[in-house]
Amino acid sequence: MEPGGADRKKIKILLVDDSASMREMVGFTLKSGGYEVSQATDGVEALAFARAHQVNLVITDINMPNMDGFSLIRELRKLPNYKYIPIRTLTTEDSADKKQQGQQAGATGWIVKPFDPEHLLQTVKRVL
Amino acid sequence: MQLKNTSAIYDCLPQALPGFENINRYWDHRHNIYAAKIVQGEYYVTTHNEIITTVLGSCVSACIRDWKIGVGGMNHFMLPADSRYKSDAWRDSPVDTAARYGNVAMERLINAILAHGGRRENLEVKVFGGGRLLNIAMDIGRDNIDFIKKYLRTENLEIRAEDLGGEYPRKLEYFPATGRARVKKLLKTHNDTIYRREQSYIETLKHIPVEGGVELFGK
Repeated sequence: MEPGGADRKKIKILLVDDSASMREMVGFTLKSGGYEVSQATDGVEALAFARAHQVNLVITDINMPNMDGFSLIRELRKLPNYKYIPIRTLTTEDSADKKQQGQQAGATGWIVKPFDPEHLLQTVKRVL
Repeated sequence: MQLKNTSAIYDCLPQALPGFENINRYWDHRHNIYAAKIVQGEYYVTTHNEIITTVLGSCVSACIRDWKIGVGGMNHFMLPADSRYKSDAWRDSPVDTAARYGNVAMERLINAILAHGGRRENLEVKVFGGGRLLNIAMDIGRDNIDFIKKYLRTENLEIRAEDLGGEYPRKLEYFPATGRARVKKLLKTHNDTIYRREQSYIETLKHIPVEGGVELFGK
């Protein structure tokens, strides 16, 4: 991937969180970094989106109604197009037990809220 | 609390939900009910019939419950003052330090209620506090009120009752099982303790990092 705005514009991120204010904050941060952001409010919505669209990175909350982050990650990993893409959680959960569950489900990283916008962009840049 | 009663009380004290074992709880003789007392930075959620109580100066508390099942709780927080973050490139943006801190304080409370059977569409919200204490120059209370109102608007959560602002501290009692909230304005004579507690909370907030950890799995 070439550095620079033109290429980064094409990078698509799916952001999944049931909290509208959290989507607003994370969405704002990612857009400031030049990424294209799609949003879903829970696992069911995210999975439906993923079946129809390809993204380069998924950032998902864990505690959500209808389908939580763990189930979403497991379901995404069954889709051929989502088998190997980076999936990061962004959650208030920070226990070792939950992190392990996340890793087993197929997450590639675990970010604990509150997130630092600068560091979030750095970790995103590193995976893409 | 009298020592001889302690063991008896703990024999029947309803078990705190996981994560809330450290919250101060006692038997409230006036209401004949168990009570949990929270201080700044804490939150408490219960599935039992008990009171949650706190004293608010310029801090705010959201009292939230699922009205159908009576599971609910209360938080107590203020936003970090901005002086330390003046050089922050994200200052005054939707993701400034204060917003990120307040967001997590609200989300933890709501998540704990949802984790114990609550549903977002049944949430009943009451908000209190944000007083302007005369000894403090800045109107921190106003910032806290503005934040909590904006947060609830964005989350599409209606405020069922509120008692905000004013130039006095409050004692707040909340009954999550019924949704009842009692507010008592505190007399000036109490202000000194509350003022000192708030000052120390403001100092604490200056030194805590408003960022959780990042852990990358595998390669």
